[in-house]
Amino acid sequence: MALLIKELTLICVLTLLGASFSIFSGLTQPPWSAPELEAGEIHQVDAEVINPIWVDARPEVDYETAHIEGALSLNDSNWDSQIFDLMGAWLESPQPIVVYCSSASCDTSKQIAERLRMDLPDAEIYSLHGGWQP
Amino acid sequence: MKIHAFIPLATLIARLSIAGTFISAALPKIKAPTEFAVSIEGFELIHSPLVHWVALLLPWLELIIGIGLIVPMIRKVSGALIAGLLILFIGLHASAWQRGLDISCGCFGTDAEPTTNYSLLILRNLLLLAATCFVLFRDLKANRATSKIAI
Repeated sequence: MALLIKELTLICVLTLLGASFSIFSGLTQPPWSAPELEAGEIHQVDAEVINPIWVDARPEVDYETAHIEGALSLNDSNWDSQIFDLMGAWLESPQPIVVYCSSASCDTSKQIAERLRMDLPDAEIYSLHGGWQP
Repeated sequence: MKIHAFIPLATLIARLSIAGTFISAALPKIKAPTEFAVSIEGFELIHSPLVHWVALLLPWLELIIGIGLIVPMIRKVSGALIAGLLILFIGLHASAWQRGLDISCGCFGTDAEPTTNYSLLILRNLLLLAATCFVLFRDLKANRATSKIAI
């Protein structure tokens, strides 16, 4: 039993040493000071205040089931047909654009936001932190 | 040739496969802890700041116990911790599947698996769990044999 506790202690110490290496080498920020938002993200409450153009990056089936009121559907599969609608909406009223997908780690919103930044370099584009669920 | 002759070889292959899986899963997450934190958040079970602690410590634990499984000094506890983590992962994936979450697994960093096939993921972890139990059983048997010789 004492031997098992010794093994477990050694594993814990090595894990803590590794985590310390990550912090001191700059691989990551200390968890106690990690920002809640990543670069280019926005909270839903803040997004609602700026009255943005909403972009739904989920599959079209999900968009048709439910979406944020006034949101445009835009994802990799319908990009060529939908991008002009979005560009038109933005040129008509150049508001910030907020892209959302279904959850915190669906990643699609970040990819679409990144792609949009290349096509609309003058627009203010965010991805919605935490995603959106009906 | 008797099947018993292959057991030490099978144990070695299982041990190296599990160790390799845990080490290769840990390295991308150590390099990109923020992305891993996003994957953890996707499971909607824990939130900031706990997410950042898990994203920092879990990859290092995976790396240490992955290496530990092939280091005689710490391999029993490493094996037990690997089995525990695999049971936890199976539970987490089953829970996300049951809740219909459309998330990336984050098992090998965020790029490797953009979308999650839950059934495949749970099957893979069950196979790894079976292999880990086999290795643990062999280690305990070897330990008992050594104790008997010592007596």
